[in-house]
Amino acid sequence: MYRFVEHTAELELELEEESAEGVLLEALRAFAELTGRGRGALVERPVDVEAPDLPMLLAAWLEELLFLAETERLLPEDAELSVRGARATGIVRGRRGSPRPLVKAVTLHRLRLRPDNGVWRGRVVLDV
Amino acid sequence: MSELVRVDEWTWEIPASARDDMRVPARIFADEEILAEIAGDLSLDQLQNVATLPGVTGAAIAMPDIHQGYGFPVGGVAATELPDGVVSPGGVGYDINCGVRLLALPISERELGPRREALVHEISRAIPAGAGKHGGVRLSDEHLDAVLRDGPRALPDVRPDDIERTESEGRLDGAEPAAVSERARLRGRDQLGTMGSGNHFVELQEVAEVLDPVAARAFGLAAGQVTVLIHSGSRGLGHQVCTDYVKLMDARLAAYRIHLPDRQLACAPASSPEGRRYLGAMAAAANFAWANRQAIADSVRRAVRTVLGDAVAAGTEQVYDVAHNVAKVEVHGGKRVCVHRKGATRAFPAGSEEIPERYRDVGQPVFIPGSMGTASFVLVGQPGALERSFGTTCHGAGRRLSRTAARRRVHGSELRRELEARGIVVRCPSPKGLAEEAPLAYKDVDRVVRVVERAGLARRVARLVPLGVVKG
Repeated sequence: MYRFVEHTAELELELEEESAEGVLLEALRAFAELTGRGRGALVERPVDVEAPDLPMLLAAWLEELLFLAETERLLPEDAELSVRGARATGIVRGRRGSPRPLVKAVTLHRLRLRPDNGVWRGRVVLDV
Repeated sequence: MSELVRVDEWTWEIPASARDDMRVPARIFADEEILAEIAGDLSLDQLQNVATLPGVTGAAIAMPDIHQGYGFPVGGVAATELPDGVVSPGGVGYDINCGVRLLALPISERELGPRREALVHEISRAIPAGAGKHGGVRLSDEHLDAVLRDGPRALPDVRPDDIERTESEGRLDGAEPAAVSERARLRGRDQLGTMGSGNHFVELQEVAEVLDPVAARAFGLAAGQVTVLIHSGSRGLGHQVCTDYVKLMDARLAAYRIHLPDRQLACAPASSPEGRRYLGAMAAAANFAWANRQAIADSVRRAVRTVLGDAVAAGTEQVYDVAHNVAKVEVHGGKRVCVHRKGATRAFPAGSEEIPERYRDVGQPVFIPGSMGTASFVLVGQPGALERSFGTTCHGAGRRLSRTAARRRVHGSELRRELEARGIVVRCPSPKGLAEEAPLAYKDVDRVVRVVERAGLARRVARLVPLGVVKG
């Protein structure tokens, strides 16, 4: 699951799932809520995101989605991902469209992705 | 808050002894109400975190529009002593050289009359808005390099007086287009001349009150005059430059033996290869932002020409253009320092060689946008800014409610009706976006400006009220 928590100026996103892959997929769904849906045929796009550690992988994953939305007009709907260490590979599915007002960037402030009592918890602050 | 010590009526400090890792005090310009507003968030914790940066000198400073951000609080100022003090990309922020530009039209609100709505409509048609919105000037690789290197000078037919009346004349020295990544270039390539989303806007205004006639005359402003305030930044290009260098410096912290309380404060010595490369990329992004506001100003003049004719367009003069998010090498107290301004405005006093000759007798113009539908202010930099805040003042009213909280309290459609009932023409594609920027989401700009005036940082010159607003 994902939820946006109160932040005076930006958007803080909290995530909780059974796996690291699950957290990244929920992050995609939260991002999709912000950008809206595209139109037309479903498009598949390969992705390969690597980071120095797990929290940075969460940030890098959202940065990749932001980059695809802003430069390829790809509004994500779903993904198939495999996480090994701090690398996520797979495909993103979505449709082309005009993104609703987007996040500007993904910050490292209060960034978190880690297992905690049997679940994976993530947190990220988006600059909007 | 228990460590907060009152220094004078408008200045408060948290001593460096409050935390083991603080190198300097944290200084806040505020009144009691402003302090109460930030008591529930992380603003002061974030300011104390800034006070831990290697090389930070004097104090970590917050302006009265302070609110919780990421890494630095918004409204934060920090100077690090060169050559070895650090530069922190997060201390500038993602929207590098987000800033404001004020244009003054040679007509009064009375002369504008019923053409107000047509002018706002024409401005909204002329300027692409919205996040990631393309449709701006599409640049070749060579032209993009020229913009990154030279700012507005790289655009065609730019008026020399526009350049002269821009902070740093619209070009930071040391810009390195090669230090800007391909991803940043892709994000910015066709965004020049676009406004962006969030709190970016173009506002048509009237000078409602002149408070300092001498400075107002020097700035070319008179009561009743129509003005246009432009708020935008470096768009996706700047966002990506910051992203790239926060990650680069985060990876190098251990090599420089830097320990930070917040990863977003990632930094490197300004003299290091990473620091120098970031400063080159940041300068390039800042130049892109000045070119962006120049292209938007050109669009505004085209809209003015369409609605009000050639003579009014030709007589539409730029008052000044100031950056809100930038790091600049300056000399303060005899020291060469890197001043980070994160949601803060340079405010140099009369006599500074850094400001246009035409303003040198009165001081640097500063523009403080209020929230949508309320007043904005023109200020002028004062000597106290050099003495107390590294030549800096506030940048806006400052948020007090989250976007979610604002949406819970007001509907965009209701707000639109309220503004229109007051004669303010609104062009905004998203009711949700309108609600998020509602006046109740912001502090009282009159109070914020009063604090900086009483603290001796900047003095009020004129009060501007909105006639129409175009939002991203």
